[in-house]
Amino acid sequence: MPREPGVLGVFGDVSLAAQAVRALRAEGMEVRAAMPAPFPELVAAMERPISLIGLSTLTGAVAGGALGLLLAAGGSWAWPIVVGGMPIVSFPAFLVIVFEMAVLFGALTNFIGLLSISVLGRMRRGVPFDPRFTRDRVGIFVPGGARRAQELLAMRGAEEVRDVS
Amino acid sequence: MSAVSAELARIEERVHAAQGKGGRLYWVVLACAVAATAIGVYSWSRIIRFGMGETGLNRPVSWGVLITDFVFWVGIAHSGTLISAILFLFRARFRTAVYRVAEAMTVFAVATAGLFPIIHLGRPWFGYWILPYPNERSLWINFRSPLVWDAFAISTYLVVSSLFLVSGMIPDAAALRDASRGWRRRLYAVVALGWRGTDEEWRHHSRAYLFFAAFATPLVISVHSVVSWDFAVSVVPGWHSTLFPPYFVAGAILSGVAMVLTLLVPLRRVLGIEELVTQKHLDLLSRLVLLTSLIVTFSYGMEFVLALWRGPRMELDTLLFRPFGSYAPLFWTMVLCNCLLPLLLFSARVRGSGPALFVLGILVNVGMWLERFNIVVTSLSHNRIPFDWSTYRPTLVEMGITVGSFGWFFTWFLIFLKLLPAVSIAELKEEVGHAPDPALAAEAVHAS
Repeated sequence: MPREPGVLGVFGDVSLAAQAVRALRAEGMEVRAAMPAPFPELVAAMERPISLIGLSTLTGAVAGGALGLLLAAGGSWAWPIVVGGMPIVSFPAFLVIVFEMAVLFGALTNFIGLLSISVLGRMRRGVPFDPRFTRDRVGIFVPGGARRAQELLAMRGAEEVRDVS
Repeated sequence: MSAVSAELARIEERVHAAQGKGGRLYWVVLACAVAATAIGVYSWSRIIRFGMGETGLNRPVSWGVLITDFVFWVGIAHSGTLISAILFLFRARFRTAVYRVAEAMTVFAVATAGLFPIIHLGRPWFGYWILPYPNERSLWINFRSPLVWDAFAISTYLVVSSLFLVSGMIPDAAALRDASRGWRRRLYAVVALGWRGTDEEWRHHSRAYLFFAAFATPLVISVHSVVSWDFAVSVVPGWHSTLFPPYFVAGAILSGVAMVLTLLVPLRRVLGIEELVTQKHLDLLSRLVLLTSLIVTFSYGMEFVLALWRGPRMELDTLLFRPFGSYAPLFWTMVLCNCLLPLLLFSARVRGSGPALFVLGILVNVGMWLERFNIVVTSLSHNRIPFDWSTYRPTLVEMGITVGSFGWFFTWFLIFLKLLPAVSIAELKEEVGHAPDPALAAEAVHAS
């Protein structure tokens, strides 16, 4: 993945990082962050839209449920043996299969969606790697990198501000 | 370095250091677990070699210790999902420090439970016949049978709980990857799946985790309900009851949380994570044990009340056979362990004592195993036809497989503790981030 130029600020305090994000965004700059945990204050400052990963999850769950119904109904029609006077296609009994398959496929697509969307997100909206960002520091990255961004990061209490090229 | 980032680093160091702790004791316990597994494997091999005659199963008791073990291990699995998913949805913060152990326990317990229906077949190589695969031999998959529902439910539960565990561990593995070297670094790099902690990743991860919790919550209730329908859908007295699903779910949570307590009490000492998993966590978990014990006690009573009120005569006869028949000692031990001893948890002193909770956790699980034995065996041995009544006694082979199941479970669990983080690093760090005052940061972790 080619390295994107910009300005990177490293913060040891989540509140200061959140303030820096607000200040940078107020000046119309694109801001990205990397952090060891989803700190609510910082997440709120980023004002990102809600993830649409639920769409793939919902699609998987609906498809799984439909497949479960098809499997149970189709399998029963293929071997049409009457048990206990119940109809061959017994919906109450098949609901268990439908539910389990919906959950199974929903969970699988949720996981696959998480992996693929995260990889795509990393490629499109990456932050330069620094092991401190999974440990104890917050990284604020301004792609493109203007002098003003450097000033704002330093003013808002960044421990370290550097150009990434 | 600010107080917050110092605390963030300290959390990671503690969890990382915990993996190196345990010393000789760890290896001794692991060796015991492997030895127990070997006993189980040998016992199972006798069934494979000589057939089901190696078990005590005979007419009319065709389900015995092996099915008891199956229900027991499915039950143990449940608390993990309760703690990780249900308490997550309810925003119960105390789960943060303990849910990883419970989640791992879930995965290994389901993996253990899933073995038992296969072992019970006697000819395990035909186990796949229950799955609906395209075949040319007209194998009939009866989708109206709870046994087929079971196969779907248990497989789904294993997959979903594994995905839940792995997805929760991704950020933690990334943190450990960046702090490790050698083969551990390579292992964590695989589990971390390239995680960097960007806001974009967190945005999707938080949402996906919420969906996992939303899926796992009804799933956990459905799985043990389906297991209870293995019995309740039949017409055997003592089994045919609409009370079974909630009764089984409550029992599962009781046994599972008791197992979490049994594991956590020694673990926090051995791994040196007393600061992360505090006495307060144990106190809250033991309250959960007390609550579910009361629900289970109520269910035991209701079984008799329903049989007395409008149940058929045979239902009452079978239920009375439990406290007064040939299995009476087991029944009364069950009552002691599941209904009476947990009442001690009303005392704050007992809830505050690690050794007391450890012993109580073991006794509750002894009681819960006996409960499943009571349900499975007494109803069959005292069925509708008096000339058919008989007393089932498990053989050494069956007990060997039971011992082996504990060995199998603990082997995986101990390996997990050594290799992967036993406490959620990211969620503990998030707790620190919640604290507005850096001076309160460390306190936030301990109070979570």
